[in-house]
Order: sequence, then C-alpha cells, then structure tokens
Amino acid sequence: MPTKIEKDVISGRDTTGHEWDGLKELNTPLPKWWLYTLIVICIWGVGYAIVRPSVPGLFSYYHGTSGFSTRAQVTADVAAIAAGRAGSMDKIKATPIEKIGQDPQLQAVAMTAGRITFANNCQPCHGAGGGGRPGYPTLASDSWIWGGKLAEIQQTITYGIRSGHPDARVNQMPRFGADGILKPAEIDAAADFVLSLRAGTKPGPNVAAGAKVFAENCVACHGEKGEGNREVGGPNLHSAVHLYGDSKEAVVAQISNPRQGVMPNWNTRLDAATIKSVAFYVHSLGGGQ
Amino acid sequence: MAEPMQVPIQYNEAVVRKFVIASVFWAVVAFLVGVYIAAELAWPEANLGFSFINFGRLRPVHTSGAIFAFGGSILIGSSLYIVQRTCRARLFGGEALADFLFWGYQFFIVMAALSYVMGYSQGQEYAEPEWHIDLWLTIVWVIYAIIFVGTLLKREEPHIYVANWFLLAFILTIAVLHLVNNAAVPISMYSAKSYAVYAGVQSALIQWWYGHNAVGFFLTAGFLGMMYYFIPKQADRPIYSYRLSVVHFWSLVFMYIWAGPHHLHYTSLPDWTQTLGMVFSLMLWMPSWGGMINGLMTLSGAWDKLRTNPALRFSVTAVGFYGMSTFEGPVLSIRDVNALAHYTDWVVGHVHSGTLGWNAFISFGAIYYLVPALWKRSGLYSNRLVAWHYWISTLGIVLYISSMWVAGIMQGLMWRAYDAFGFLQYSFAESVNAVHPYYVIRWMGGVMFFVGALIMVYNLVMTVRSPSTNLSGSDAGQFGAAGAVVAGE
Amino acid sequence: MEDDISEIIVGIMVAVLGLVGLVMASGAYDSEIFIFGLSVAGFAVVFDIGLIRRHHDRRALARHRGGNHG
Repeated sequence: MPTKIEKDVISGRDTTGHEWDGLKELNTPLPKWWLYTLIVICIWGVGYAIVRPSVPGLFSYYHGTSGFSTRAQVTADVAAIAAGRAGSMDKIKATPIEKIGQDPQLQAVAMTAGRITFANNCQPCHGAGGGGRPGYPTLASDSWIWGGKLAEIQQTITYGIRSGHPDARVNQMPRFGADGILKPAEIDAAADFVLSLRAGTKPGPNVAAGAKVFAENCVACHGEKGEGNREVGGPNLHSAVHLYGDSKEAVVAQISNPRQGVMPNWNTRLDAATIKSVAFYVHSLGGGQ
Repeated sequence: MAEPMQVPIQYNEAVVRKFVIASVFWAVVAFLVGVYIAAELAWPEANLGFSFINFGRLRPVHTSGAIFAFGGSILIGSSLYIVQRTCRARLFGGEALADFLFWGYQFFIVMAALSYVMGYSQGQEYAEPEWHIDLWLTIVWVIYAIIFVGTLLKREEPHIYVANWFLLAFILTIAVLHLVNNAAVPISMYSAKSYAVYAGVQSALIQWWYGHNAVGFFLTAGFLGMMYYFIPKQADRPIYSYRLSVVHFWSLVFMYIWAGPHHLHYTSLPDWTQTLGMVFSLMLWMPSWGGMINGLMTLSGAWDKLRTNPALRFSVTAVGFYGMSTFEGPVLSIRDVNALAHYTDWVVGHVHSGTLGWNAFISFGAIYYLVPALWKRSGLYSNRLVAWHYWISTLGIVLYISSMWVAGIMQGLMWRAYDAFGFLQYSFAESVNAVHPYYVIRWMGGVMFFVGALIMVYNLVMTVRSPSTNLSGSDAGQFGAAGAVVAGE
Repeated sequence: MEDDISEIIVGIMVAVLGLVGLVMASGAYDSEIFIFGLSVAGFAVVFDIGLIRRHHDRRALARHRGGNHG
C-alpha cells in the first residue's frame, strides 16, 4: 500500500508511512542512552576479550594479556586452602590415631575435618550420624563387624571391604542354598535358630534342629554362640538389627544366597590425615571402642 | 483504518483457533505437572516409588509441556494469525497443509511426553526427545517454514512488518539448532536408543549453544514477534520506534548465538569459549532491552487503557518481566556472579521469571485478544476474572522467584563457606535441608499460577459459549477492519 | 483449487509416513518404537480420512451453492 506518512498527534512524531493491519510505526530516533550504553558495553567487551583468553585459532587460542587461566586459578585456590590446613593436617598425619584425643587442638581439627568429610562422603550410605540403613552398617552402635577400635576403623576406611584393593578386608559367606550346601529344610531351621538369638523374637518351630545346623556350619565365622568374630568379619547375630533384614524371609535369603556388601577403599580419594580424622570422628559417634 | 479499495481476504483462522485451544489445554497440563514436580522436590515421598511419575521423568514433561506445548502452540498459532493479516495474504499451502502443521505438532508433543514417562530421553535439556520424535518434528517444522515463508512471498504489502522478521528468525534458527544439536546415530531404526555424534565438552557446548538459543529464538524472538503485533493492536498506538526495531532486531539475533557458553562457566569448557559467551551475553543486554523499550513506549498515550483492558495489562507486565529477565541474564553471565549462582536455584528462579513473567504473560495477553476475535464474540466474558487471573498469577510469580533467589544465594554461599580451620563449613546434604522451606514457598507460587490458569480457562469457555458475548449487528465491524472478513455465509 | 492440490500432496505424504510407522512398529526392539510406529500409522489413517471427508464436504457445499468450484 502506498507510503502515507502521518503525524502522530500524541508524540508529535511522523509515522514511517507504512501500515499493516492497522499497525503503524513512528520514526522516533534511537534513544541516546540506549545507544551509548550499547556502544560502551561493546567497547568494554572488546577490552575484556583482549585481556582474557578469547579468540580461538586452528590449533591454539589467544591467551589474553593477563595470562589468566581458570586452571591456574583453581590450582592456586586449592593450594591456598591446603596450605591453610597444612599445619594442623601435617600434625595429624604424624600423630598416631590413638594419641589424637590427648591433644585438644588436634582433636578439634580432627573432629572438624572428620565431620565434614563424613557428611560429604560417608553419609549417603551410612546415614546422618552413622545411623546406618538396610545394607549399610550402623557406625554408632557397638556392633562392629570388623572391629570398633580406632586403628581398626582407620584400616577399614583406608582399604575398604571387598573393594578390590589388595589390603582390603575380605570374607565370603558360603552360598548355602544356591550352591546346594544345605537343604532348604536345614536353612529354614537355621534361620529359626538365628532369629531366636535376638531378644524379643518369638521362637520358630525348628530352633533345636537349627542349633545343630548352626553348630556344624556357622560357628567358624559367627562364633560359638553367634556372637560374631571380628577377626574374620563375621557379624554378631544377636544384634537387634540385621544388616540385610530381620524378617524370616530375609534371613533365609541371606543364608541361601548371601549378599556381600562392598565398601570402597578411600586411600585413593582421601589423604591419610583426612582418613585418620574420619576414623576419629566415626569412633566418637557412640560405638567407638 | 480500512481503506475503501481493499478486498476482504478469507484468512485461515481455523488453524489459529486450533492452536489457541491447544495452548490453553497444554497450559493447564504443563502447570499442573510443574506443581507436581515442585511437590516432589519439597516432599520426595510424592514420587510414590512409581517410576512413571518420578521427578526425573516428569521434569521434561513439564519443561517440554510449558515451552513447546503451551508456548509453542500459542506462538505458532499467533504467527499464522499475524503473518496473514500483516501480509494481507491467506496462508500458503492450503488448508490441508495447515492442518498437518497443527495435528503433526500436537502429535509431536504427545509422543514426546509419552516417551519421557516411559523413561526415554537423550539427556539433553529441552532436546530430550529421541531421534524418531526429532525426525517427526523436523518434518513438521519444515512444513511450518514452508507455510510461513510462502505466505510472506505472496504478500500484498510490499514491506514486511517487524513482527515477521522476528518470527522468521525464530523459525529458521530453531530449524538449524534442532538439526545440529540432535544429530545422533540410532542403534537401529527399530530402537529408540541413539548415540549423539558429539561427546564430552564438545557435546556440552553444542547442547548449550542450542539451549540458550532455544531461549533466544523460541522464547524470545518468537514471542517478541507476538509482542510487536498484540501490544500495538490492543493499545491502538503505533510502534514507538521503527529504527530501534531494526537495530535491536539485528543486534539481538547476532549476539544471542554466541551466548551459550555462559551455561558452562567453571566447567571444563575452555577459557576462551567462556570469555566469548560472557562478553556476548553482556553485549546482548541493550539489544534485548530494545524490545522492552519498544513494547513499553508504544503504550505512550494509551496508559489509561491498562485500567480498562486487563488483557493488555498481561502484555505490558510481560514486557516488564522481559526487561527484568534480560537484565538478570547478563548479570548471571558474569563469571564472578556465576561462580556463586551456577547449579543453584537462582538459575531456576531466573528461568521462571522469564517463562512465567514474560512468555506466559504475553501468551495470556495474546490469548485474551485472540479468543473474542477468532470466535467472533463481543469481548471477553468477564474482565473481572481476567483481573483475578492477573493478580493471582503475579503473586504466584513473586513467590516463585523470590523463594528461588533466597534458596539459590543460600546454596551458593553455603557451598563456598569455609570454617576457621579451613574446612568446608556445610555438607551438601545440609544445604539441601536448608532450602526446604523455600521449595515449599515455590510450590505455593506454582499453585497460584496454576489456579490463575484455571480461571482463564473458565473465562475463555464462557466467552465462546455464553450468550452474553454474542456479537450484535453493530459490533460486527470491530473485527472487520483491515481486510478480515467475518466467516460464514 | 489450492486446497485440492494441498490435500493430495499432504495426503500422500502422511500416508507414506504412516507406512514408515508400520514398518518401524513391525520390527520394534522396544515398546517406545512399537507405540510410536503404531501411533504414526493411526495418525495417518485418521488424518487422511479427515482429509477425504473435508474434500467431499467442500464439494458438497460448492455444489449446494451452484456447482461453481475450482
């Protein structure tokens, strides 16, 4: 449609003369503040791109006049933090774990480092405060599977359990059902006996028969009376909470086709002083021996 | 003003009506899913241990539903309405092609949502659908481009109106983005599983080049196209500055393309890429505000209409939120700010100030204009209900973004806090615990926004069906201006 | 007239897509492709029936107005 410039009464400006479906445009010039801000930011942008790494080449890139690099910054930041802790962590590294509790300053550092490392690394499995979850042992009671002394906890954390590390703690409960070592009736009786060891459980029908099965097959790892054997990591069966469930079905399943948990070895992820601190912290949670 | 010589044109309004209905429907669905996943975040028990509705699967249902189903439907529908009327040309390609565009797009939406719920995803944000659904969308999109460009080519108006520049940029750029980001090799044409042709940090950059330009071209350029039509239409005022529209259009579409790396600050993305992303994101600030200025200043001389036209209130508020978000965005792109904000809920708050404040509100403004126009009603059933919708939704937005600002900054500060011994002060789990109350507030904000949408649905249904909005003979002219003909014999 | 051409082209295209869907569903490894393929086929059937219906509705309307259509 023909160009028909009109004057807009309200703004005093002319229209551009075009019209689409009743819509028109004014020929207002660019707002000065808008234009200047745009230009200033663009100039700043060019400057920033000169100072900082910015333009890629075929095989490399322009590094910028400031020599800034995120990698260098991170390395420096990490080193600074480590340096800040170095004094105390070096001392912890040099001090045997049993002696940390004697020095209040070292103890404070160990508890701090232990608490936060535990919260970010161990809590997802072992629960807040070491309370434990099905399949993940509690660390706050005295039913330790592999020992609750400071050095024992430290070793468990460092090398893990069935982690694949050569120094890992390892044991293997035979697959009494899956490998046909015991008949289903025997497993059922053994389960009755195991459950009878827990205070407050109603005894099943086959406790006596189960006691015989237990004496012949289980005492080597679980102890004469099922009290456990920390040398070989055989759990105490008297404890109120069983790691893989305390219903009859769960116990039968665990005897038949045992689940064997894996705890990672932390020696590749945490330095020795930190592991010592975590062990110290875990020991303090309520079950330390 | 209609010139006496203009021949009335039979526009294809049926397809626009379909898209409007679809958009309103998907709005309810998308907001409801959003409310549910917000509940899942605040109260994880709401996952019910049921895989089909867990957070991981429902989240893309919400994001795709809000962006592509709700936003996309009203955007495509409006674009077809706008291009016909500003070109004075009926849609190119005939009714069948337009119908395929509509039904094919809805099919894409439904298939995508179904695939998410069944657990399929490419794992790329806003590009979750697998290869087979991507291919279907490609076909639909090519047809969309054909229809839109074809209509431009058969225009009677010699010049192309500014809204159409933005819409065309949106259509063409989304096509490129979609094709490049979704390049993948299916393991078989009979399996949904595919492997992206990119890997590692390169794949991350491609994804966020795509992701940010999905925001820039789908959620920004496309909706600016809508803004440039519906605001001057409802205000009955000319666009504030043609020159500004030219300069801000070209600078915006140029700058946006480079902004992607700001999603990858402090990752293994090279420093030079991060610098470019930051610089272009900041230079993008004024070009974006050009749209805000043009939108707001067009109201000059018509501000009184805000009192009487609540739909216009939505559109204008949208432009205000647009300005806010396009300031917040560049600020978040500054590396030192990003060091605090990255991975926090501040980003979620920023997203929703943009999507709820800008996209949804401009969509509501368009929908409230289009429904009476397309269904030939005298006006909306109830302006009061629109006002209720407006105030409840705005309050919902305020709750949403302020709770997320607080949560986000709290997270950022907690994650970087060191104690006197030089160890981290807070564990991650503690920061999760700390933001719980804000997750509840955010959920409340979402509920309010959802309730607002329900009010809108009722109002629109009554607009179409109530005898109180029947056109009398004297009203028939209001939609007859500028060449549109009232349908029917 | 334009609408007729459009209908033929779109109708054929959609029919082809429907066949592709059937082929995909026939060999589907997972339920996703199975459902997608069948849905595409179903979509094609419904959509093309709709095209045919509309084609004939248009002709009937034109005939009703005096048989003066393209």
